[in-house]
Amino acid sequence: MSKIFTPQYNGYLVANAVGFAIIGISKYLSGPGSNGVLIYSEFIIVPFLIGIISAWFWRDDEISSMTLVSRCVANCFVAIVLSMVFLSEGIICLIIVSPLLWTFIVAGCFTGRAMFRRNNNTLNASVLAMLLVLFVVDSTSVHHYENMVADRIVINAPVSKVWKNVVAYKRNTSPDKYWLFRVGMPSPVESTTEGYYVGAKRKCVFSNGYVFDEKIVVYEENKNLTFDITDQPRDPEIMGHIDILRGQFLLQDNGDNTTTVIGNSWYRLYVFPVWYYDIWAKNVTRNVHLRVMEHIKQISEAQ
Amino acid sequence: MFRFVTRYLGFLKAVPGTALVFDAWLRIATIFTHPEVSGYIDSIEREISGWDNTCTGIHKYGGLQFSYAKHELGHIHSNGLLDMRFSREIKQQIMAVDSRVEHHHVFKSTGWISFYIKTEADAVYAVKLLTMAYEEYRAKERTGLPLV
Repeated sequence: MSKIFTPQYNGYLVANAVGFAIIGISKYLSGPGSNGVLIYSEFIIVPFLIGIISAWFWRDDEISSMTLVSRCVANCFVAIVLSMVFLSEGIICLIIVSPLLWTFIVAGCFTGRAMFRRNNNTLNASVLAMLLVLFVVDSTSVHHYENMVADRIVINAPVSKVWKNVVAYKRNTSPDKYWLFRVGMPSPVESTTEGYYVGAKRKCVFSNGYVFDEKIVVYEENKNLTFDITDQPRDPEIMGHIDILRGQFLLQDNGDNTTTVIGNSWYRLYVFPVWYYDIWAKNVTRNVHLRVMEHIKQISEAQ
Repeated sequence: MFRFVTRYLGFLKAVPGTALVFDAWLRIATIFTHPEVSGYIDSIEREISGWDNTCTGIHKYGGLQFSYAKHELGHIHSNGLLDMRFSREIKQQIMAVDSRVEHHHVFKSTGWISFYIKTEADAVYAVKLLTMAYEEYRAKERTGLPLV
């Protein structure tokens, strides 16, 4: 046992155990009201604390900065494995979160190293108290964030041809270009509708079989198709952390037998901090748009 | 990249923790691109930590700070950029002698200097610069002058 619980391994095991215990307690205390929201504390304060705790176990080791960063990589890996096991996170989510975890584990570890070299208990207690205050304030705050992404494409086909393919389109079999789709994130492949009127149900089918149920709320032929998403799959991969609320296609007749299609999507994020995850959310949503709109362009121009 | 961030996004340093995070990114990037620089910073830290009445800590704008009796000798950002403050006269003398020493990357018209540690010789020179600041404080202390 003493070979396992060496200071070096405690730097991985105890630090991550404390981190995940904090997340577990926080989830337990917030109850079902948290609605699956993962707050910024869990991605910033907890990894930072993991880094500090690791630095405490490694404080007597004469190790180079390079070795310390390497140990932080290992610590990040442990945190990711634990996230898969205890938080049921999927691979894509973990790819997305890993730069954030690594950054804050590194920042925490080097801060901890500086703290414990000074051996100033007042300073150390102040840092930990500040982290605790931030965690409590963040945990008790309301987290709600919605945004929209807009993209446009010009199609060399008249608006009447494009419109039919906007409302429903046949299966897209072209290979995915976006790297996250290539590594397993589901991409949109087909759209079906039960009718061409307001209130008609629409389905957007994804590559892994996921189906987004939609309802047409605005139907202005050759101009505006707006639909609300009424049901969407819950999955460990990204879709549990973002809800697509509404989609819209606006068509503009350019008067030269070409059509400009504007795709808008409104979404709600369940992961924070927004300054990090919104970059990914926009990027993913944009690539969903592009995949759909490029397919619409391809089939409209071929007809 | 460092210059771009300090020039155009420098205002973000007012946000608590931002400089710390930026320095963590610098550290990770430096370890991938110039791993030897990280070793030079470690060797400087070992050297300075051995001097009487000195200590190391985190600089408020990110990086490793060296202090003498609570007064900053200088700090090294994790990309190997050493920032130090001298009197303007001494700064002019140092810059006249060695072209590697530059005006501070932000505060150009002050006594602050910037010096990039890229080679082992640079690391040796960085220790020499820190020694100058250290000896200056020690001399002031001996003569009873205020350390500021």
